[in-house]
Amino acid sequence: MKIKVKIKRFNPTEGESPAPYMQAYNVDVTEGMTVLEALMKIFAEEDPTLGFRRSCRSAICGSCAVRVNGFSKLACNTQISPEYEKHGEVLIEPLSNYPVLKDLVVDFDKFWKKMDKITPYLTPPEDPGAVPRVTKEDAERIDSSQRCIMCGACNSECNALEIDTSFIGPSALAKSWRFVGDVREAESGKRLKRLSAEHGVWDCVRCIHCTEYCPKEVAPLTQIERLRSKAIKEGLDDNPGAKHVISMIQSVRRLGRLDEAAMTFKTLGFLRSLGMIPFGIKLEIHGKMPLPHIFSQIEGIDEVRTIFKESEKITGGKKKR
Amino acid sequence: MRAAIEAAKRGLNVALVSKIYPVRSHSVAAQGGINAALNKDDSWEDHMYDTVKGSDFLADQDAAEVLCKEAPENILEIEQMGGMFSRDSSGDIAQRPFGAAGFPRTCYLSDRTGHGLVHVLYEQLLKHNIFVYEEWYVIRLVVEDNISRGIIAYELSSGKLHRLHSKAVILATGGYGRVYKTTTNSLTSTGDGMGLALNAGVTLMDMEFVQFHPTVLKRTGILMTEGARGEGGYLLNSKGERFMERYAPHAKELASRDVVSRAEQTEIDEGRGVDGCVLLDIRHLGEKKINERLRQIRNLAVKFAGVDPVHEPVPIKPGAHYSMGGIKTDVDGATSVAGLYAAGESACVSVHGANRLGGNSLLETIVFGRRAGRKAAEFSKGSPLSSFPDSFLKDTANKVANIIKRDNGEPAFRIMDELKVTMEECCGVFRDRTRMTKGLEKVWELKERYAHISLVDKSDYFNTELPALIELEHMLDISEAILLGAVEREESRGAHCRTGFPGRDDKKWLKHTMISTEKGEYKVSYSDVTITRFKPVERKY
Repeated sequence: MKIKVKIKRFNPTEGESPAPYMQAYNVDVTEGMTVLEALMKIFAEEDPTLGFRRSCRSAICGSCAVRVNGFSKLACNTQISPEYEKHGEVLIEPLSNYPVLKDLVVDFDKFWKKMDKITPYLTPPEDPGAVPRVTKEDAERIDSSQRCIMCGACNSECNALEIDTSFIGPSALAKSWRFVGDVREAESGKRLKRLSAEHGVWDCVRCIHCTEYCPKEVAPLTQIERLRSKAIKEGLDDNPGAKHVISMIQSVRRLGRLDEAAMTFKTLGFLRSLGMIPFGIKLEIHGKMPLPHIFSQIEGIDEVRTIFKESEKITGGKKKR
Repeated sequence: MRAAIEAAKRGLNVALVSKIYPVRSHSVAAQGGINAALNKDDSWEDHMYDTVKGSDFLADQDAAEVLCKEAPENILEIEQMGGMFSRDSSGDIAQRPFGAAGFPRTCYLSDRTGHGLVHVLYEQLLKHNIFVYEEWYVIRLVVEDNISRGIIAYELSSGKLHRLHSKAVILATGGYGRVYKTTTNSLTSTGDGMGLALNAGVTLMDMEFVQFHPTVLKRTGILMTEGARGEGGYLLNSKGERFMERYAPHAKELASRDVVSRAEQTEIDEGRGVDGCVLLDIRHLGEKKINERLRQIRNLAVKFAGVDPVHEPVPIKPGAHYSMGGIKTDVDGATSVAGLYAAGESACVSVHGANRLGGNSLLETIVFGRRAGRKAAEFSKGSPLSSFPDSFLKDTANKVANIIKRDNGEPAFRIMDELKVTMEECCGVFRDRTRMTKGLEKVWELKERYAHISLVDKSDYFNTELPALIELEHMLDISEAILLGAVEREESRGAHCRTGFPGRDDKKWLKHTMISTEKGEYKVSYSDVTITRFKPVERKY
């Protein structure tokens, strides 16, 4: 069956004012054909100027991530027909949040630099005798973070990266857990301290896109949450991100609900909170601040506290604040 | 990467040149594991015996000894670097049974062992600040007076040719699976290093020995790990029989790869296949075990074959998987050219002989990568930098310019497709002189036509058609070398199975095939096999 495949193309070396454009190809799609196979077919039979990366074609090398009908996927393990049936067309574009070099080829330079930033190798204790023995559980703790193939799909879908290119991003954070969570790592504390700074682990907005679009079940958001939780446990809570989480817990424990005004003060501190007043007034004008502004305890507060007690039993008791 | 790290550790200024990012290398696709005699009830001698027997006694036993003896320390070293292997319940590195191995000695990380190893080596590459020339295609080895002078590389993002002048060069470019239509190999496994070496006057060895992996998906050639059988999976024919009981009564599904591939092909050829395949059945392992140990291949089977192995058997067949042959080296990776080294699948040390055991290829890359890095470092410290003859650069630039200039020729991809079909039909699991001679003639015809092909893309910015054309040249050369070695060898040994010559003939053929070029002509010669511990005996599983 012939299916029209539209590809977003761009070559900065062509013409006087090069701009991206769409090009459509009619591809004879056979059963099970993947997006990568379609690209290969176009490249071999029709248009060898088409730029795209490829290697293993079995979802393990991470070369071929592109956007198919708007979502970041590996071209090699995405079949054409279901895409066509679902969307009525097949639109292939380069990844988002990366500069485009040519057609579907994007610049990975920043991606690698961010990996570099997190000291992406194990730093075990200097004395080999002090390296703990790895148990099955120890290995399993970091297993999902080790599945990463560095395809970059998570960074492409990341909403936080879209507004702040300095954000370290889900891929480097998932890789961070691979070391922080490793029982043999001697510098976990240092790593967590660095990650707790600006552009680090607290800049994630928890939109879950990274986990949703990861083709290898790495679940970057889960790794980010593990890093956050470990950072707080180790007392690294002197930053707005950690304070926000802590005040949220306090608020729910105290009132059974979120007291957002109080949380603002606890997260940002008194002086910076004053700066939020104009924003608060704007919210009020637009009717986004429901009354009352000062919250009272909810009726079923005892049930909420029971939930806290039970969960603390599981996680190992109430943490010292 | 292992070689680069070793040389850098020894204080050398090292750079890595790669046509793809290092973490994209084909080793990431290795699934099942890596062998080492770690258990106190196992020994390197047993590992060596299995390796030599698996090789159908063609492996050089001094090399196999190094491989197996150094295996445990290499595994532990990888672990110290940060590598993580799956553990058993007592916290030791877990080991699973693998084909033709007398002991469960295959260490693994679920079913993504190669991926785990590549990433830990990449981490070390960054740790040692090794510079990587990413997306640079090596298109010429510069060798004069039998001394390596460096390389010439094509930079994808600029179309420029660069000369890299060095004391030593280590080739670690992997295999050539892509010369076959059905292959587990990456699109990038085009045997570049072997082609480059052959053209630089270096000898290739045992090229006719091509491993066909018994369990690959039909349409795409995607690998289903041997670990699936190691964990207890069955192979079934159309009648539902575990047919391996007839071919290898003792080892059954865990006979060596050549034996299993031939059995499957026989079942298919004799009409007991299922739509050109046989079936891999792991349903009885249960969902929990499959998810824990074979999770990736479950996903691959679902995504690429539309079959969930938890509920249905997976149709599979043999596919080109591994190049036992390659650039002839000694146990330190040294070739016949001073300063030129090779390691991994691109090299032939030879530890795999006529058939490689599963779990020995990853092992070879780290054991001999480390040795080659060490030796190249020693060589570099003790030798002056030889001059880089400009004529090579001019010559290469002219060659590339001529390709770009040429118009109205045939497209490269038609030749590539014809080559893959030819190799599959004429030099597959079963081989005979008639078909191979036909294959050889076809390759010569394709080489003729190759001289007149032209490019559509003439640009110098991310032009991926030009490198594909250069890869094709290597593929043609390698195919000729494979066929030449295979036509001559009138016996059946390991992966090389000649109809009409069903037995192994140690009197005539217990020797390595050497292929070299002299003034553009291919020359075939032979050399003795090194035998130390184990006298050749009949091989049964």
